[in-house]
Amino acid sequence: MVVLREGMCPGLDAGLLRNLRAADVKTVEDLVSSDTEELARKCSVSYKALLAIRRVLLAQHTAFPVSGADLYEELLSSTAILSTGNPSLDKLLDSGLYTGEITELSGGPGSGKSQVCFGVAVHISYRLKQSVVYIDTTGGLTAGRLLEMLQTETSNTEEQMAALQRIQIFRLFDVYSLLDCLYGLRSGGLQQASVGGGSVKAVIVDSVSAVISPLLGGKHNEGMSLMIQVAGVLKTMAKDFNVAALVTNHVTRSGSGEVQPGLGASWSHIPRTRILLERVEPAAAVSPSGLRSATLIKSSRQVREAASTRTSCSSLIALATVREANFLISCVSCSV
Amino acid sequence: MSLRTVPNITVLRHFAAFTMKRRGQEVSSSSRRRRGRKEDEARAEMSESGAQLFARLEGRCCLKDIEPHLFPEDGGPDHGEVVELCGTEGTGKTELLYHLLCRCVLPEAAGGLEVDVVFVDTDYSLDMLRLVSILDSRLNTALSSNSSARSEEAALRSCLSRLLVVHCSSSSQLLLTLHFLETSLSSRPSLALLLIDSISAFYWLDRCGGGASFAKQEEKLSKCAELLERLLRDYRVTVFASCHAIRRSSSGPSSSSDSYLCRPWQRLVSHRLLCSRQDPVDSVAAAVGDRGQRMQPVFTVRCTSSSCSMKSFRSSSFCVTDGGVEFIGTSSSQDSEQSR
Repeated sequence: MVVLREGMCPGLDAGLLRNLRAADVKTVEDLVSSDTEELARKCSVSYKALLAIRRVLLAQHTAFPVSGADLYEELLSSTAILSTGNPSLDKLLDSGLYTGEITELSGGPGSGKSQVCFGVAVHISYRLKQSVVYIDTTGGLTAGRLLEMLQTETSNTEEQMAALQRIQIFRLFDVYSLLDCLYGLRSGGLQQASVGGGSVKAVIVDSVSAVISPLLGGKHNEGMSLMIQVAGVLKTMAKDFNVAALVTNHVTRSGSGEVQPGLGASWSHIPRTRILLERVEPAAAVSPSGLRSATLIKSSRQVREAASTRTSCSSLIALATVREANFLISCVSCSV
Repeated sequence: MSLRTVPNITVLRHFAAFTMKRRGQEVSSSSRRRRGRKEDEARAEMSESGAQLFARLEGRCCLKDIEPHLFPEDGGPDHGEVVELCGTEGTGKTELLYHLLCRCVLPEAAGGLEVDVVFVDTDYSLDMLRLVSILDSRLNTALSSNSSARSEEAALRSCLSRLLVVHCSSSSQLLLTLHFLETSLSSRPSLALLLIDSISAFYWLDRCGGGASFAKQEEKLSKCAELLERLLRDYRVTVFASCHAIRRSSSGPSSSSDSYLCRPWQRLVSHRLLCSRQDPVDSVAAAVGDRGQRMQPVFTVRCTSSSCSMKSFRSSSFCVTDGGVEFIGTSSSQDSEQSR
């Protein structure tokens, strides 16, 4: 809804604006949808002038169509694939996190979602030397844990400090501050967060369901609308700035008793790739094992085995050797 | 009418100038005062050229046989019809849209229709890499005889140049974009298909933004639907739109078939494709034992058309491979009105 204002385009002066408002045309959409000849007659302005105004406003406010070939060229030159630091998880994700998309990790309590996110952040900041924005909504992030993970990679304290500096942390606990933070990042914050030479390549929100699920349910639809707004700003940020968005989600039980990711059916269309993490308990377990299983439940690329994209991608950030993070995760099944 | 028997374009232009008098008649008094070149310019803008008239009335490819597996016999989407694909997440709607897209932009040698397509992307769900891999594999199977790398690239590029992609971030922007697309529709007579993925992306935003009255909540989508109706009537393109289900189907796929969008949109839809997914039975997969031979999930599509008087539906199933959608079986049933 864009309200018509004076000076928005040449020819839209105060007098014309008054006449338009008298004819009940207050927004750009009203102007564009109404019949131009009738409006020109009512507001006593020339048809040609009104047509020119309409054309300028339309060009200013519509999304411009892009040819498929140009879009593909742009995508080839700007998409990067970020390895997560764990080879089996990478294999599940078709070689890593893709920039420009939202990837979702869901799992119950203690299933390792936050640990995976820490591992990804540490890997990107230490190995790939790029910045990471980490939005923590649960309070589960401690710098000590990140340092512990870094200490297994290197014993050089300067490198550890440099890697820690590339991880920028935001602590928020409700959806409005999350939206504020994301809008702020989108309008210039991401450039400022690029520290130490590397640009921001990943935005991790842990977890998005902690701030949204209290608002869902009941008669009011505001929760759903806020959820879609968060999704929208994450997606536009991922696309415009070529970052990979990683979010975590809780799980619920479906009607037939099986475990499924939370936040409902409307959220399920939003992430491009979804992974479900579960604990694996061996049959004769004495103590809880450190094993977790990751199942791919939605992917637009993995149809059989790792289907590769076109090999002429020139900007893949692929790693030759990958070190495992400080926990075990084994890929058990890949069902799409 | 074959495009080769195009009438003389100057004849059409004169015809257009005579018949398109609707704007010329209502010239306001202020423009009557301007004489000479300005009046000619105004008249040229008010009337449409012969090419635009031609594009408007004729020349759009008919997409009735775009996918015979999906639609009942002879019941494919005609000019000016809207097909809605509904289903929950992961039921193959986007894959079906890619399949239809590829069928339209591929050259005739590869089994395509060679028409232009506009893809309106409302929730950033277009995965160009996946689309290109489908196009690639289809071109490879079709043109495998004389394939050099450069000719393959050229073929791929020509296919992609028939595709126009628009991203919209709100329903007001969708409305404005549809107005803007009118100029593209009038200037490209080879544009025959409009894909919208998805039409329900702004549902919750509109519901919350409209306050307490349902009319205000549905206002924007109603305006889009009315505009689409006019565009379909004037330009005779075909529209395929995907609509995400918002409730998890606890009682089978039929419960998720209730449309929750506004009435003007529901009136516009002439065919509905209900998508669902059947996961392979676990015991069978375990019996096979070999992890490399996992059973593929099978997707089913059920098509109901409200346009034909005999209510007939057609059910088909497909699975998704590297080369896109592959149909495995179809079944159709005719329920005549007497049985009701």
